[in-house]
Amino acid sequence: MQTNELLNSYNVGGHTWDEMYAHQAVRPQYQGVVDFLQQMSIEELNKKEELAKRLFMSQGITFTVYSSGEGIEKIFPFDIIPRIITATEWSYIEAGIRQRLKALNLFLKDVYHNQFILKDGVVPVEMVYSCPHFLREMHGFSIPHDIYVHIAGIDLIRDQDGTFYILEDNLRTPSGVSYMLENREITKRIFPDLIPKNNVRTVTEYPDILHRNLVSLSPRQTAHPTIVLLTPGIYNSAYFEHTTLARLMGVELVEGRDLVVDNHRVYMKTTAGLQQVDVIYRRVDDDFLDPLVFQPDSMLGVAGIMSAYRKGNVAIVNAVGNGVADDKAIYAFVPAMIRYYLNEEPILKNVPTYQLGNADESEYVFANMASMVVKRTNESGGYGMLMGNVASEEEMYRYKTEILKDPRQYIAQPIINLSSAPCYMHGRLKPRRVDLRPYALCGPEGIQIVPGGLTRVALREGSLVVNSSQGGGSKDTWVLAG
Amino acid sequence: MLSRVADSLYWMSRYMERTDGILRMLKINYASSQDDSQEFSWKPVLRIFTYLDEEQSTAIAHQTRTVLQYMVTARENANSVLNIVTKARENARSVQDHITKELWQCLNDFYHTIRDEQLVRGLHQDDPVSILDILIRQGLLYYGITDITMARGEGYAFINIGKFLERGVQSADILDIKFSDRNYDLTRTDTTYWKYLLLSVSGYELYLKTYRTGFDARNVVEQTVLNEDFPRSVIYSINQMQRYFQRLKSDRNREAWGKIDFMIGRIQSKVKYSTVESILREGLHPYLNGVKEDLYEVGNVLNQHYFAYL
Repeated sequence: MQTNELLNSYNVGGHTWDEMYAHQAVRPQYQGVVDFLQQMSIEELNKKEELAKRLFMSQGITFTVYSSGEGIEKIFPFDIIPRIITATEWSYIEAGIRQRLKALNLFLKDVYHNQFILKDGVVPVEMVYSCPHFLREMHGFSIPHDIYVHIAGIDLIRDQDGTFYILEDNLRTPSGVSYMLENREITKRIFPDLIPKNNVRTVTEYPDILHRNLVSLSPRQTAHPTIVLLTPGIYNSAYFEHTTLARLMGVELVEGRDLVVDNHRVYMKTTAGLQQVDVIYRRVDDDFLDPLVFQPDSMLGVAGIMSAYRKGNVAIVNAVGNGVADDKAIYAFVPAMIRYYLNEEPILKNVPTYQLGNADESEYVFANMASMVVKRTNESGGYGMLMGNVASEEEMYRYKTEILKDPRQYIAQPIINLSSAPCYMHGRLKPRRVDLRPYALCGPEGIQIVPGGLTRVALREGSLVVNSSQGGGSKDTWVLAG
Repeated sequence: MLSRVADSLYWMSRYMERTDGILRMLKINYASSQDDSQEFSWKPVLRIFTYLDEEQSTAIAHQTRTVLQYMVTARENANSVLNIVTKARENARSVQDHITKELWQCLNDFYHTIRDEQLVRGLHQDDPVSILDILIRQGLLYYGITDITMARGEGYAFINIGKFLERGVQSADILDIKFSDRNYDLTRTDTTYWKYLLLSVSGYELYLKTYRTGFDARNVVEQTVLNEDFPRSVIYSINQMQRYFQRLKSDRNREAWGKIDFMIGRIQSKVKYSTVESILREGLHPYLNGVKEDLYEVGNVLNQHYFAYL
C-alpha cells in the first residue's frame, strides 16, 4: 500500500525524541491522525498540500519581499501534519509558563521601582544596567494593575528524553499568534472532520481574551474606550498579523502618522476630527515609539507618546522597557527570580546558560565551542547566532574575537537536540525538528494561556534552527482535551 | 473613521473604477479595430488613459498588441491595469480591518491574476478578448462583493464617492476625447464611430431603445451627459456622489461638510439644468472640461477636510 510507504520511510535517528513515534510504535495521541493519513493516497495528500498553499496565497497570509523595486508575495511554509500535545503535557507547560510569567512581571515591577532583587544580590546590578533595554524613563512609574507583560510568547523546546526547556522569553512584541489562528483554519479546510474526531481544544478565544484585557486597561472610565493597534505599516513583515488581530478584535489599526499627542493625551485623526485614544496595543519596538525620547529619527512612532503614558492618560501594551526581562543574559537568572519572588521551585527548566562576561564560564565555552550555540543577547529571530556543530574553524575564530571585544553581549548554551515531529515532504513523512511557542495573556483577572500555540519547524534536514528567517516553517498545533 | 482609512478606501475605489473603465474601453476598441476599413488608431484611448506624449502615442497607435500590452501589463505605465490594481490592493491592504475579508480576498486574487505570466502571454498570442473578459469579470466580482458584504457606514460612503467621482470624470473624458478626434464636428454621420463609443460605456442598447432615428452625435452627447437613468452618464455619477455624500453629514464636521455639499450641489445643478443646445452653445469641450475640473476640485477639498492626516 502506498500509505505504508508513507510511514515506513519514517526514520527517527537514535538520540532524538520524536513526537509521533516511540520505540517504532505510534504514540496514542497521534493514532487518530495516522489512521486518517493511512486512508489517503499520496495524490490526495499532494492535493491537500496544494490547497493549503492556495488558501494562504489567496487570503493574503503572506509577507512581501522587495527586490528591484517590486514586491513579491511569499507565504511562510506550512506543513500539513499537525503537531499534537497531550492534556498532561499541556497542564505541565501551562503551570510552568504561568509561574514564570508571574515571576517575570514581579521582576519588571521591582527593577523599575525598589530594586530589591538587585540589593539582595540575586541578579547582579551590572547585568541590569548594562542591558540596553533597561530604560530609565520607566523608573519609578507605576502602570495599571502592575502588569508589564500583557502578551508573552514563550519558546519551549524538548531534548532527547522529552524534557521541556524554556528557550526564550519573548516579552516585548512577540509575533506569530496569527499563524496559530490561521494554521488551525487551514487544517479545518484541508482535513474536514479531523479536528472534532480528535478532541482538539479550540484556540479561537484568543482575540476575545486579548480584547477584554485591553478594555480593562483603559485609564478613562467609559463604556467604550478607544483601543488601537499600532503597526509600523504595510511594509512590516508581520503586517498580516496586525490586520488579522485588529479585525478579529474589532479595533482600529493605526500607524504612527494617524496619531498625535496634545496636552499629554493621544488622539487619532479621524474624518470627524480628533478622537482620544485610551489603549494602544503597539507592535512597534520601544526604540521607535517616541522620537522625543528614544530614536529621534523614528518615523514609526508618535512624538510625545511617552509623556502621555507617564501621565497615565494612555495605556501601552506591552509595557515599555520589558526588554530588560527577556534579555538573553538575564534569562539565566529567571529560575533564581522564581525562587526569590515566589518561593517556589521552577516547574519548567532553563537551558544551561554560560555568561561570556564571566571568566571561568567563557573559558569553558571556548574549549567546547563545537557543541555550543553562541547568541547575541539583544538579537532575536535567529540572527547573530553561531551554531558550533556546523560552524567552520574560521567562523568560530571570528566569533571569538567579536566576543572578547564585548563579552556582555553574548551568552552560550549547549546545543539541545530538539525533538522531531513528522512533516509531509514529497509523498513521504520525514522527521523534522520543532519548537513550541504558546501565547500567554495577562490581565487583571490573571494569566490565561490559549491551549495551542505556534509550532515552528526546521524544514531543512538535520537543521536545529526553526526561525522563519532561517528557513523554518510552521505547523498547526493541537492540544488534546483530557 | 481614521482619515487615512477614508483616504485609502476612496482611492481603492477610484482605482477599481478606473480599472473597469480601461478594460471595457480596451475590449470595445479591440473589437472596433477588427471592424475598421482603414487602419484603426488607438490614439484617443492612449490620450484618455495614459501619460504618453503625442510622439510616443503616434508611434504605437496602430500596433494593437503593443497597445494592449502597454495598457494592461506594462510595469512602466503608471496607469496600466497591473499598476492600478496593485495600487488598489495596496490601499485595501492597509485598511483590511475596514473592508470585509471577502473584499480583501477578491482584490488580492485580482492582483495575483494580473501577475499571472500565462495571462501576459495570452495577451500577446491568443484571443485578447478572452483575457480581457477574465479581468473584467474579476472587477465585476469586486463590485458585487462590495455591494453584498460591505456595511453601509462611513467607509461605504467614501467608497461610493470615489467610485462615482472617477466615473463622472471618465465619462466626460471619453466623450471629450472621442469628439476631439472628430474636431467636435457633430454633423458627421459616422455610425460605426458612435456605435463603438456607446459600446465602450455600455450605453449602446439604451441608445437604441431611446432614440429611434439612427445615429446622431447630439443624442450621443445627451445620453452620456444628461440621461439620469444611464449609469455611466455624467449626471448619474454626480447624483450618486451627492447621495452618498449626504450620508457623511454629522455635527462633528459641519463646516467642511457644508462647503463640499455646496460644491457638489452646484455641479449637480449645472449639469441637471443643461440641455444639448445649451452645452453646444457653450462649446462641448469647454463644457466637459469645466465639469471635469469641478469634480477634481471636489476631490481636492475632500482631501483637505476629510483625508488630511500627514
